[in-house]
Amino acid sequence: MTGWHLDDDALRRYVERTDSLAEGASVEQHLLSCEQCRGRVNPAVDVIDLAAVWGRTRDTVEVPRPSVFERLLRAAGLPAHDARLVAVASAFRGGWLVSVVAVLGFAALAAAVGHARGMWLFLAVAPIVPCLVVASSYDPWLDPALEPELVTPYPMLRLILLRTIAVLALALPAVLLFGLVVHGEAPFAWLLPAVGFVAVVLAASTWVSPLRAAIAVSTVWLAVVWLLAARSGSPDAVLQARAQAGFLALAAASFGIFLVRRRWLHQLRPWR
Amino acid sequence: MVTASISLRDVGRTFGATRALAGIGLDLKPGVIGLLGPNGAGKTTLLRLLATALPPTQGQVSVLGLDPQVPAERTGIRRQLGYLPQEIGFPRGFTAFAFVDYIALLKEWTEPAARHAEVRRVLGLVGLPDLGPKRIRAMSGGQRRRVALAQALLGSPLVLILDEPTTGVDPEQRVTLRTVLAEIARTSIVVLSTHQTEDVAALCERVIVLDRGRIRYDGPVTDLVGQAAGRVWLADEPDPAAKVSWRTGTGRYRNVGTRLRDDVEHVEPSLEDAYLLLRGGSAENEPAGEAAS
Amino acid sequence: MDCRPGDEMLLAAVAERDMGAFRTLYERHAGWLAIRLARRCNDRDLVADAIQDTFVAVWQRPQGFRGDGDIAAWLWGIAIRRLVSRLRARSSVAAVFEKAEAAPAAEDQVLLSVDYGDVGQALARLSPEMRAVIQAVVLDGLSAREAAQLLRVPVSSVKTRLYRAKAHLRAALAEGPS
Repeated sequence: MTGWHLDDDALRRYVERTDSLAEGASVEQHLLSCEQCRGRVNPAVDVIDLAAVWGRTRDTVEVPRPSVFERLLRAAGLPAHDARLVAVASAFRGGWLVSVVAVLGFAALAAAVGHARGMWLFLAVAPIVPCLVVASSYDPWLDPALEPELVTPYPMLRLILLRTIAVLALALPAVLLFGLVVHGEAPFAWLLPAVGFVAVVLAASTWVSPLRAAIAVSTVWLAVVWLLAARSGSPDAVLQARAQAGFLALAAASFGIFLVRRRWLHQLRPWR
Repeated sequence: MVTASISLRDVGRTFGATRALAGIGLDLKPGVIGLLGPNGAGKTTLLRLLATALPPTQGQVSVLGLDPQVPAERTGIRRQLGYLPQEIGFPRGFTAFAFVDYIALLKEWTEPAARHAEVRRVLGLVGLPDLGPKRIRAMSGGQRRRVALAQALLGSPLVLILDEPTTGVDPEQRVTLRTVLAEIARTSIVVLSTHQTEDVAALCERVIVLDRGRIRYDGPVTDLVGQAAGRVWLADEPDPAAKVSWRTGTGRYRNVGTRLRDDVEHVEPSLEDAYLLLRGGSAENEPAGEAAS
Repeated sequence: MDCRPGDEMLLAAVAERDMGAFRTLYERHAGWLAIRLARRCNDRDLVADAIQDTFVAVWQRPQGFRGDGDIAAWLWGIAIRRLVSRLRARSSVAAVFEKAEAAPAAEDQVLLSVDYGDVGQALARLSPEMRAVIQAVVLDGLSAREAAQLLRVPVSSVKTRLYRAKAHLRAALAEGPS
């Protein structure tokens, strides 16, 4: 870099735009490689509010952008504040949701292709996916910031319920859709077990960690399905009215227990 | 404005067969209160109790005049509370700003502009104003600890409970944090537990020493240090009459003992000396039948 | 010792997600970039948006700078293209004004050390449309399509005007001083 710098006159004409295009080109070319002259130009800037633009730039870069899921929730009517709290749970990060859909899809595919065996697979998998996702949306192992979260004024019950509803809003239509693919006659049959298990996990989480509860429920269910499959050929046993009524009762009772014991949600419990 | 206060009356906490805390009676007012004690003494349990994260199994806790067992009052306490737990995990992929912003949401900062300004303010307080967009997983241990501290400082709470806030934080930053905490302690109750006696010495006027779930000492730091007056001396060899002795950087041995001695080279006691003296004494008087936690 | 970090160091720090370095980079460059953009586009809001876009782009891809040449030139390249993007997105026309007096012209190298002699006069004799095209394509390094978007004219016009402008200039310079 040579010692040559722009004289004040040339700079002034440049900033005021009273120079010729040729002069301007010369100034601009010089500015590209001269830090000192750039420093002389900067204070003269009044064409934009540099501080305001900085504020907007900083926000764009620093403030976390709402995820697709969050925007969906907002569109569904949830206040921005709540939408963000719900969407931020690990369970709702992109990767997670994709894997959930993949699992369901795989099971549906198996059912559609493999017939009887496939149906059993779908019957085994579909009802437990929602409760696993719900559990992971507020389990301390997966939600490592539980302790500071717990002692905030935001009601934990509300947070858990909102996250559960969000999961159900996503998972149930998915289960339904795949259920249609598999067992066209009774697509709703898969829903009540799924809801039932979610309620059981909610209730159990007032005693033990939600993920443990979900894994226990899933294991029991898988065992039941396996036993049924070994005994009879058709999975329809589950879909009968009596079984469905049973699931409904399970859901109602569990949810009742959950509400009765809700104070256990607001403080640390032994499993923590 | 009412002065912040916390009081505990004969508080105890049991976990199954283990008694973590027993017979705790405390009255806390604004200022910085240090909590010392060996691992397993019940410091974390006590802090969780103060932070309303755990209920006591015996006794009464009253924070800011409110009862944490009553849900509405507990929420009222939590609006004025900041808590830094001993271990904190961060959700994957979060930046410092995103994490503190998330906690701010839980602390009812609903308006985005005000919330973002507050997030930047607390990040500035802990010395991380320029690392908002950095992923927490990419930060050093000390930086992560400071991010965790930042969330506790949101809203300038009247009650600030800090479990080992300076772990892994380098000495320069510790000094900055001490200044910040001292400022907050003008109107707020700051209770911090630490293994660094020099933090307590530099920052706290009052210190509580816990041991096996009970309070061994509760009073001014100066008085505790005073208990070790005349009981700390230097020698070329470790003195068998001392309770504790160790080799210092100069090659000589620092000895701390219970018997006042005249014929040795005395030195000014530090808080650490006084603490060791206290601990050494209590080890002899172990009550029978009480399981340690 | 006060060690003022160079732009390259700042850029490296930005890659490490350092807001302080990012702010310093902004303070050093947003000003002159804004002035230069404003000489191509009358609309202040558009210029402000373009500056914001520029720095956000720098934050998102600091490694886009390959280390060849000045960082300032790299920043200008981003800035002018962001301005063009914003213009393209706007349905209403943003005025792009030209100089009343002198004229641009001649090949790149010569322009760099202009001193109002033959070349300056040759530039002055060109029409405003031709000058604008020379500025956009030769001075600012835009492609024909980008220049077309900036000037709100068809790409074919850009190419024609550029061809004619260069022809005029060659002729004028060959003539010698008038």
